[in-house]
Amino acid sequence: MLTRLIPVSLALALLQVGLRFKDDSDLAGRLKARDAGAMRELYDRYGRLVYSLILRMVRNSAAAEDLVQETFLRVWNRIQGFDAERGALGPWVLTVARNRAIDYMRSADGKMSAGALELDRLEHPGRFCDFEDRALSLDRARRLKDAFEKLTPHQKTVLELAYYEGLSQTEMAERMQQPLGTIKSWVRSALKVLREQLTEAAAV
Amino acid sequence: MTCEQLRDSYELYSLGLLEGEERHEVEAHLARNCAVCQKYFKDALAVNTLFLSQAQEVVPPSRLRRRVTSSVGREGAVWTWIAALAAACALIVALWLSLEKRTADGQLANARLTLQQTVAERDRLEQAFTFLNQPETRQVNFGQGQPAPPRGNIFLNPRIGVLLIASNLPALPAGKAYEMWVIPKGGTPRPAGLFQSGPQRTAMNILSGPVDSNVTVAVTVEPESGSPAPTSNVLFAAGF
Repeated sequence: MLTRLIPVSLALALLQVGLRFKDDSDLAGRLKARDAGAMRELYDRYGRLVYSLILRMVRNSAAAEDLVQETFLRVWNRIQGFDAERGALGPWVLTVARNRAIDYMRSADGKMSAGALELDRLEHPGRFCDFEDRALSLDRARRLKDAFEKLTPHQKTVLELAYYEGLSQTEMAERMQQPLGTIKSWVRSALKVLREQLTEAAAV
Repeated sequence: MTCEQLRDSYELYSLGLLEGEERHEVEAHLARNCAVCQKYFKDALAVNTLFLSQAQEVVPPSRLRRRVTSSVGREGAVWTWIAALAAACALIVALWLSLEKRTADGQLANARLTLQQTVAERDRLEQAFTFLNQPETRQVNFGQGQPAPPRGNIFLNPRIGVLLIASNLPALPAGKAYEMWVIPKGGTPRPAGLFQSGPQRTAMNILSGPVDSNVTVAVTVEPESGSPAPTSNVLFAAGF
């Protein structure tokens, strides 16, 4: 459950999300210029976040280390497609990290081919640009956490299965032995709660 | 479906979890560069990012930073060189240890050989002392009165054999050795051992085992491998 996974030092993670993403254009430019020092800075900026996410997903520290390395290498190798002026490195790096973990888990389950290309397409660096200034703010991160706490156990479970285990709604229905319609209802209502809470933040 | 009807689908779509018709609908809307759907998509990416960033914080091991950063660029090269240098140092140390071991092994082998020689010499001296200590041992000296002759003594004990102690021996040609003969009265010479002289041109040779008391002991120069019968002049001889 996310409730017991909410970090003790949440503030640091939120700072990483809320403040650092804004300063990424210079870093992205240096990465595109193949500055190895920029790679160190990228790791210092996102390494802990990426490791925490991947470890949360795969629950194996050795595999997590491999996947963190894969994540940063993939970012390094695909940085040329990233828009340094308009892009946000953080969301892209986290998406790449999640996809590496999902790929690993599916591979362990013998389902590697299913969705691998789809994940690859969805993490294209060109997609991670033109975020609104407030989209990744510290305040919104706090609100998301608060909103999550308000969800029902079923809603929390389906979101965790989606974000951290990469299960589709059909797979969730099988896992939870619930009708697909019920799962869809839980997912949509949960996301709606989160979204509304964040919209309120934007309106403040 | 309208853009608004797809509003709830973008988070799952951007996570790669939307299936079937719903997914195709979202892709169709995004392909049209619909501004509303583009905004929903960006909003969904932001929600996903905020969600994923809230995993329980765990400090990664410090080696991971080195591992990641050494995957690319200069720091990697530095570590590669360090690794190469370390490997070279390890190789040098291994070679040095190997040479040291070989030297030590050689020294040990030499020590063993010296010990064996010393033990053999001690045994020979003990044997010689036994000859001298036995009352039935008889002694005959040779070479007296000659200008530069081999000189020495031959001890015969019918029970334990013959002992030869010689000095002032002539230098041996290459490939040659001294050979001692025991010659019974009226009989043919019997080989009684090959020997070399030492740095002081001295030598000692022992024939172990019973021997007739009335024999002549002689020495000739023979090939190193020995001869079944004398092939050169007698260097010296002593009769009992």
